[in-house]
Amino acid sequence: MNENAIISLRGIRVDYDGEPVLHGLDLDILDKEFITFLGPSGCGKTTTLRIIGGFIEPLMGDIFFQGQRINGVPPYKRQVNTVFQRYALFPHLNVYENIEFGLKISKLPEKERRQRVEEALELVNLRGYGLRNINQMSGGQQQRVAIARAIVNQPKVLLLDEPLGALDLKLRKEMQVELKRIQQSLEITFIYVTHDQEEALTMSDRVVVMKDGEILQTGTPQDIYNEPQNAFVADFIGESNIIDGFMHKDYLVEFANDLFPCVDKGFAPMERVQVVVRPEDILILPAEKGKISGVVESVIFKGVHYEMMVEALGYHWMIHSTMSVEPGTVIGMDVAPENIHIMKRTEEE
Amino acid sequence: MKFKHAALPYMVWSAVFVLVPLGLVAVFAFTTQDGAFTIDNIARVSGYTPVFMRSVWLAILATAICLVIGYPLAYLMSRMSGVRQRTMVMLIMLPMWINFLLRTYAWMTLLENNGVINSLLRLLGLGPVRMINTQGAVVLGMVYNYLPFMILPLYSIMTKIDDRIIEAAQDLGANPFQVFSRVIFPLSVPGISTGVTMVFVPAISTFIISRMLGGGSNMLIGDLIDAQFLGNAYNPNLGAAISMVLMVFILLVMSIFNQFDDSEEREGMLI
Repeated sequence: MNENAIISLRGIRVDYDGEPVLHGLDLDILDKEFITFLGPSGCGKTTTLRIIGGFIEPLMGDIFFQGQRINGVPPYKRQVNTVFQRYALFPHLNVYENIEFGLKISKLPEKERRQRVEEALELVNLRGYGLRNINQMSGGQQQRVAIARAIVNQPKVLLLDEPLGALDLKLRKEMQVELKRIQQSLEITFIYVTHDQEEALTMSDRVVVMKDGEILQTGTPQDIYNEPQNAFVADFIGESNIIDGFMHKDYLVEFANDLFPCVDKGFAPMERVQVVVRPEDILILPAEKGKISGVVESVIFKGVHYEMMVEALGYHWMIHSTMSVEPGTVIGMDVAPENIHIMKRTEEE
Repeated sequence: MKFKHAALPYMVWSAVFVLVPLGLVAVFAFTTQDGAFTIDNIARVSGYTPVFMRSVWLAILATAICLVIGYPLAYLMSRMSGVRQRTMVMLIMLPMWINFLLRTYAWMTLLENNGVINSLLRLLGLGPVRMINTQGAVVLGMVYNYLPFMILPLYSIMTKIDDRIIEAAQDLGANPFQVFSRVIFPLSVPGISTGVTMVFVPAISTFIISRMLGGGSNMLIGDLIDAQFLGNAYNPNLGAAISMVLMVFILLVMSIFNQFDDSEEREGMLI
């Protein structure tokens, strides 16, 4: 077990109605890190969070909190707090009383309660809102109350279950920055659950990509984005072109009927692989100069860039570029060696 | 606002069938049989204080028992799966489809000195226990008949309590008792107030239950009023006066009771 781990999951298995939703999950969560569980709905990310919170007991496996096994410890005895999906604020209490709830339960003296609630309100930029009713607050404000209500208890670990899901795009972006700031100023562990890859990449120190109750890849946002370990991760994290190819030898791969130098090695000679090329990494060249040539099928303006679909040898390439090319034009394409990512073939799909 | 005139028939209805009769009751209450103004009728009501006291006491008792039985049941129901919830609601509603009189007759048969329960006790070498024509039997009849009116409003308010709010309380360190006292109970207060009203008001004015299960010795206000209009005592003016006093009394009790939860929003509540 990693000695810096604040929470360790070992062989966690959970079934719903006899169907496994988590099969043998192993994970170490480090102290003071911002870790994100990322995956499509039904991948088991929320279940994992609820196991840590104590709302679900795993069928098999152990949960450790600072080295202590905490299986069977009820939620109210765990030193973690949760920011729930859609906030789950107490409708019969005002903002101040909502935040004070946990402190009152732990029988803190009135003076200290007041001070800590005020600090928490300050931290989430809601000073002076204490006496408001919950239903007088906007979604974004309720979100902040939910965060304040959780952090006021000074938990070692904060669990966040898709907390920004109900907010509009602009507010969501603001809150992402805000959350990161709060995490850094409190110096506690944040465990964040989301299906939004952009959110995961923006805030996290480490991302855990999950699918069908299993962890596919764990790593920094850069690792996950640049070196996806399989086609699912590549596809889920941003847009990708994924093509079948052969690894001729170290640093040389064949795909789209041509040979490309690359930076990967360690494959068997002529091993079948999958090649990932990000849309923004494809260079557009005059038709005769590119290694691959294809016909532009469509161009969509996306704001910062154009998104083009290019048909070449039966494969439809997605290209992001700041310049646009008329549909019907034949263009050449090339990819720099460092932008070619080689993955072992996954048998499924 | 195209439909604002649609309320008109109901307003006419209310005026004709609610306000006019209420006015008539007031007129009767303050007149003699010859039609002259008097406050004698109202004054005479004080002579029936013991009956009033008994009615109030039995209604409070029945309401309290309904609350004690109904509250946990409503809570458990609200946490069941969808199918079970519907089944439970059906089971609670089902007796209400049987005629009220018939249900109360059934209790007579059960409670009688030679009734079903005493026959069973006799087989076991016990009893007979006197059950019929006691205050206990009247309270039993009230609880039996009015319990659904306690459970249903409580249940409907409790199903609105989101599971995640309960989880949030647990997450913030509340043990099961604190979850109840600090979250579930305060959120269910509107249901309690509706349930109490819906049991207390019919219980305090019932006359069928007391007549059938309480015998002659447990007369309630309802019986008293009934006697003034349809019984031997025939005196509509006095009956009207008693009705007026009862109505004012209920209004007072309810307004005092509703003080307890006036501040909170009472979504979808009846009162």
